Amino acid sequence: MGTTASQLGKDTLSEYQELTFLTKQEILLAHKRFSELLTKDEKDIPNIRISLERILTLPELKSNPFRKRICHVFSTSEHKDGSLTFEDFLDLLSAFSDSATMEIKSHYAFRIFDFDDDGTLDSDDLQKLVNCLTGETDETRLTPEEMRQLITNILEESDIDKDGTVNLSEFQHVISRSPDFVSSFKIVL
Amino acid sequence: DEDSDDGTTRDLRAIPLPMALKRAVNFGGGVQSYFLFLRFLVVLNFFSFLLIAGFVIIPSIVFRSVGFIEYTYLFYGYYNNTMVEGMNFSYNIPLAYLSTAAFYLLFCLVCIIAMGTTARVVVATGDSSEGNYSMLVFTGWDFGSNGNQATKLKQQNIYYRLQVDLEEEMIKKKSSALTQRQKVCLYSARVVLFTLTLGFIGAALTGIFFATNFSQGLLYEYLPSIVITGANFIVPLLNDQIAPFEQYSPSVTVVLALLAVVLRLVSLVILLYTLWRQITCDETPDECALCCWETRVGQEMYKLTLFDLIVNIAVLMLVEFPRRMIVDNWHNKLTQWVGRQEFVVPYNVLGLVYGQTVVWTGAFFCPLLPLINTFKFIILFYTKRITLFSNCRPAVKTFRSTTSSFFFSGILLLGLTLASVVMIYSVAIHPSMACGPFRFLTSMWDVVPKSISKLSQTTREFLFFLGSQSFSIPLFVLSLILCYIVALATVYKKSVTLLKTQLKLDKQFLVRQIGRL
Repeated sequence: MGTTASQLGKDTLSEYQELTFLTKQEILLAHKRFSELLTKDEKDIPNIRISLERILTLPELKSNPFRKRICHVFSTSEHKDGSLTFEDFLDLLSAFSDSATMEIKSHYAFRIFDFDDDGTLDSDDLQKLVNCLTGETDETRLTPEEMRQLITNILEESDIDKDGTVNLSEFQHVISRSPDFVSSFKIVL
Repeated sequence: DEDSDDGTTRDLRAIPLPMALKRAVNFGGGVQSYFLFLRFLVVLNFFSFLLIAGFVIIPSIVFRSVGFIEYTYLFYGYYNNTMVEGMNFSYNIPLAYLSTAAFYLLFCLVCIIAMGTTARVVVATGDSSEGNYSMLVFTGWDFGSNGNQATKLKQQNIYYRLQVDLEEEMIKKKSSALTQRQKVCLYSARVVLFTLTLGFIGAALTGIFFATNFSQGLLYEYLPSIVITGANFIVPLLNDQIAPFEQYSPSVTVVLALLAVVLRLVSLVILLYTLWRQITCDETPDECALCCWETRVGQEMYKLTLFDLIVNIAVLMLVEFPRRMIVDNWHNKLTQWVGRQEFVVPYNVLGLVYGQTVVWTGAFFCPLLPLINTFKFIILFYTKRITLFSNCRPAVKTFRSTTSSFFFSGILLLGLTLASVVMIYSVAIHPSMACGPFRFLTSMWDVVPKSISKLSQTTREFLFFLGSQSFSIPLFVLSLILCYIVALATVYKKSVTLLKTQLKLDKQFLVRQIGRL
């Protein structure tokens, strides 16, 4: 099931349409943008994997504070280096697409925010998350006290079983109350 | 749309505001409440102008009779005192003038109360801050926004929202944890501050009073503006120095802002007092030194309005732009300490209230003043926006938005009361002989009984009944209470719907958890 960069067969196209939330146009556009990142030699190699640095040159990801986490989550590489094949790229776009369900989006959001990949959001994860959100410049850094207070508040609000971490269902419970989550968790090429 | 007062995240694209206001949201400091308030005032003035134009100015233009004093439409003196008859209807211009003015003030009163009630009700029901932090942190980021600039703005916005709530929480904790000794210190500090403020107000009043006796007109017009501008410059500096002290006591900024209100309104009152002295002294018709006093009052208010606009623009060009250039280009300890101008919302809002009060006072004598004020506020909107983005640094302390709407309405109401007092007084005293729609009458109010006496018997009795105290006062009070209750009911209904949805989600969650055990 390989796709070279030069063309996308009709069967593979319809298969992708079944497996992802993307429409035909979106898949073709994704294919085009993915090919633009490849060098001339790489275009003929099937299942080519693009490195993290090159993926991050895409304008939609370039300034996103979560860009590295996003690539790591969707990467199927054994070296865990965040490199993406075309199919990984489609998975990424599918999760961030217009038609993806709340469950899919919250699932992936959870994995993106889980910085240490241990399946739960503990205080370190939350701290890194807040730093990504505020940008960590001198003007926008929270003091250690404020950070501690914030994390305590978050855990108090969302950690229902009081184990000190936020698991997936607790996370999804918080997300379900937000009417804007689905529209803000969106990347469109 | 307030950005930090409900628990849900805000997609800036979904807010139906122009880009300028949306960027102001990201600026923090509750700045957008200033621009929204300014926009409200522009709309209010414009509709007031339409009211006046429709009932007074256009009929005057249409039904002009020749041979009266050639003033411009700007001032009271121009308008005819005749009743115009022709083509099966009669239009009583004096009556129209008086009733339009009264209606205009009532209309403004209603608008302010409407704005204030909604804000008050929101404050009364409390904000739904449950789940505020986790909601913001988990759902606050907009993954669709591209570009470094947008990202930085969003990050700043999130930072401010977090910081405001965290700071309030910490202050609450600290103040509840004060020892006995610290409480004593706190209260004595508050008393000292209050006495100092009173003393300063007293000194300022005496200064202004002496100034009016020495120099006519010029100095006391300039003095309050100089003081206000100076305060605008210095107070944010002081704020940062007094910050540790500030943690325990209500903001020094608020106290000084109140000072600014008092100074500005007092200067207006003194001007009116001086005019009043001139009017009542030179009453002799043959002397005619203050021949058309209504026009004179209108002229003074008109001059004040224009002067206020000029001062604002001058401060912008001569103080704020140079300050920014000096601070940015010349790095030494002094400039670092002074820093860029901070856009302090309370001062700017009080400036608006002062301008609006002047217009309300003068609208009776200068019917085109609301239109002039509309243009003035529009110009002010754009110039303040320019200075905000070019010269100011983001505010460190946020001005809470819901309580502030209520606060703005309250101060505005104070200004409206002052203007109403002036108008009621003018209606009661002897109008000038030589000009205006009310010449040859003993008082302006006379036109009303005269017009009513021309109506039929039943209408007259009905109107008397409506106007009688036993009917109108209870009606007025009842309608105020009704407004409040209706607003409260709407807000409660929304809360109930929201709570029902949340309850459903909670039940589903718990069922899922049980299923796992």
